[in-house]
Amino acid sequence: MQDAVRQKARKRPFLPPEFVRAMLAGHSALGIAFAALIYVVCISGTLAVFLHELYRWEQPDAPVVTQPLTPDAVAAAVSGAYEKALAAGAVHDIFVLGPNPVQKRVIVHFHDHESGVEGDWLADETGTLVAPSHTPWSEFVANLHMHLHLPRTWGLFLVGLTGVALLSSLISGLLSHPRLFKDAFALRRGGARRLEQADLHNRLGVWGLPFHVVVSTTGALLGLSTLVVGVLALAAYDGDSEKAFATILGPMASEDETAAPLPDVANMIRQVQARHPDAVFASVTIQHIAKAGQVVHVGMRTPGHLAMANTYYFDGTGRWLGDGGLETGSIGKQILGALQPLHFGWFGGFAVKIGYGLLGLAMTVVTATGITIWLARRRAAGRPAPRWENVWSGVMWGQPFAIAAVAVAVLLTDAASIAVSTYLVVTVVAIAGALALPDAFAAGRLLRAVSGVALLAMIGLHARAWGVQPADPVATAVNIAMGASAAMLIGSALVPWRRARMRVSANGL
Amino acid sequence: MPVALDDPFLLTLAGGLFMAAGIAVVRHRWLSRGARGVGLLIAGWIIVLAAFAVLGAAWGAEMGTTYAVGLLSLVAYTLIVVTHERRTAKIRNARETAYDPAVRSTNWRRGIAKSLLAIVLAGVAAIGVGVALAVALPFPPQDRAVIGGLMVPILWGGGMAWTLSDPRLVRATLILLAISAAGYGIAFLPKVLT
Repeated sequence: MQDAVRQKARKRPFLPPEFVRAMLAGHSALGIAFAALIYVVCISGTLAVFLHELYRWEQPDAPVVTQPLTPDAVAAAVSGAYEKALAAGAVHDIFVLGPNPVQKRVIVHFHDHESGVEGDWLADETGTLVAPSHTPWSEFVANLHMHLHLPRTWGLFLVGLTGVALLSSLISGLLSHPRLFKDAFALRRGGARRLEQADLHNRLGVWGLPFHVVVSTTGALLGLSTLVVGVLALAAYDGDSEKAFATILGPMASEDETAAPLPDVANMIRQVQARHPDAVFASVTIQHIAKAGQVVHVGMRTPGHLAMANTYYFDGTGRWLGDGGLETGSIGKQILGALQPLHFGWFGGFAVKIGYGLLGLAMTVVTATGITIWLARRRAAGRPAPRWENVWSGVMWGQPFAIAAVAVAVLLTDAASIAVSTYLVVTVVAIAGALALPDAFAAGRLLRAVSGVALLAMIGLHARAWGVQPADPVATAVNIAMGASAAMLIGSALVPWRRARMRVSANGL
Repeated sequence: MPVALDDPFLLTLAGGLFMAAGIAVVRHRWLSRGARGVGLLIAGWIIVLAAFAVLGAAWGAEMGTTYAVGLLSLVAYTLIVVTHERRTAKIRNARETAYDPAVRSTNWRRGIAKSLLAIVLAGVAAIGVGVALAVALPFPPQDRAVIGGLMVPILWGGGMAWTLSDPRLVRATLILLAISAAGYGIAFLPKVLT
């Protein structure tokens, strides 16, 4: 018996308790500091996975193109974009995105970064521009995720820093989890609220770890790239950031502003196809169009790669300048090509998007439960923070409400300019309303109910604008998904009040 | 009509079944909770690896591995949700004696110092090392830049986790300053020398 006791005493824990407690302290501090930001980025990122479907929901009468564009159709789209850019006084850079496995539209974009004038059009399968792109809510969601609607440089940096904080939380979370293997499959519902939430937090965090690490690392790199390349430029490129970016992204247009003919993009695509017969058109970017210094980046996709396309470089006369090696080049080039698809789940097709949506939702739940656990721990230790419980409930359930309210406002007014102010007002009202309610559970219930109602209003307003069965079946599918989400939110708010009250009094939150 | 064994759909189905079987075997071993069954654990992970191989055969190494990693998470989530345990309130057991975070005396000055360390100095050091790698690694310029850039968030995140958990601020400050000096020294040395 004594031997058994001695043997047990000799058995050391997987991680020393003091180390675990120190890591937990750091994990908590980081979570408290960044939780709201991480939550907003995660929830908007989960929606952004389906950005192409949201575009189609918002403008269901625009052409859907399922086959890759022919070289002549691309040339027609470039020519059409040039004419539109001329008319808008924004002749500088032109971008055409063709259909691919993750999106089925031809999107044409032109902009002049000096004047700030830009335009977006949608084209059909012949490359004819048929309608201006008008997707203010989807753009709102995308920009919320990418730069939180802050000035672009600062917003990108803050989102990048949020990615770093998330990555750091993953590291400290893993190191503060001594029961990683013992609880590997345990999900116990009911019982103490804190432990129920801890099970959910730890299981979703650990088993989704590869996804969480990839998404936070790629997101942080995308957000911090301007800062990192800026320092790299100081060290190795005489402070010239454009030169540093050109090393990574390929040749940039020169400043020669002499007039020149439009580049023969169709011929460039054929040149690539002569070298790679299985390559199909993905995108084309023309910098400084119709100037002697213009440079063309043609994106062509071959099957079996994560990268959306490899980029082939040409000058304005059609001279081949090389390629980016994004599909089959060296490791750094392939990583560069995979960054965006891996971050957004934009590879493989719709099944991958569904998987990314579920994993993104898991990451959002991990963030939300992290703070819930901290608050429940305080309550269990006799130091409850009821106002913070209400605030966190307001943040958690206020975000779906705010994002849905933006869609309702945009559908009602057809004005993109109203989006950010609506979001901010609803976010503040949700938190203030949560504070005014007796407890966090009541706040959560109310906000889930109004989020569900807002989603139903979105569906109703969409039906008023586009009919019950819009031309694009994807819009109907999005409406069904929104209806299901609304049902879940409203259903969860209708948990019998007595049962809910009992749980609040027993466990807090 | 003969069935082609290299059909991507069939291989994907097989890969999914292998993944589910592998995770189920690992869970079966986990349920036994004893030292016995190490063979089951190894077998479970070998079946998971087989799922990676089958999905790789279906979609190529690049896409197949990515699909398999995502599938691993989703299958485990599904299994955990399907087998969740419903409890009634007031039940307590040994697992509920979980660790609590270390309680440290703190104040505003210390909080600000920690934030500066974790966000600013750890970031400065991480960017220094990343740029040093982007300048000095023996690879082509594009590879150096991407690998150096990719290291920045990883190092910054690691530095953040460490500085926030380390109670000794002076030690963390000195180490981060030393790393920054080394990083920027290597990064800017070629420029200084020329």
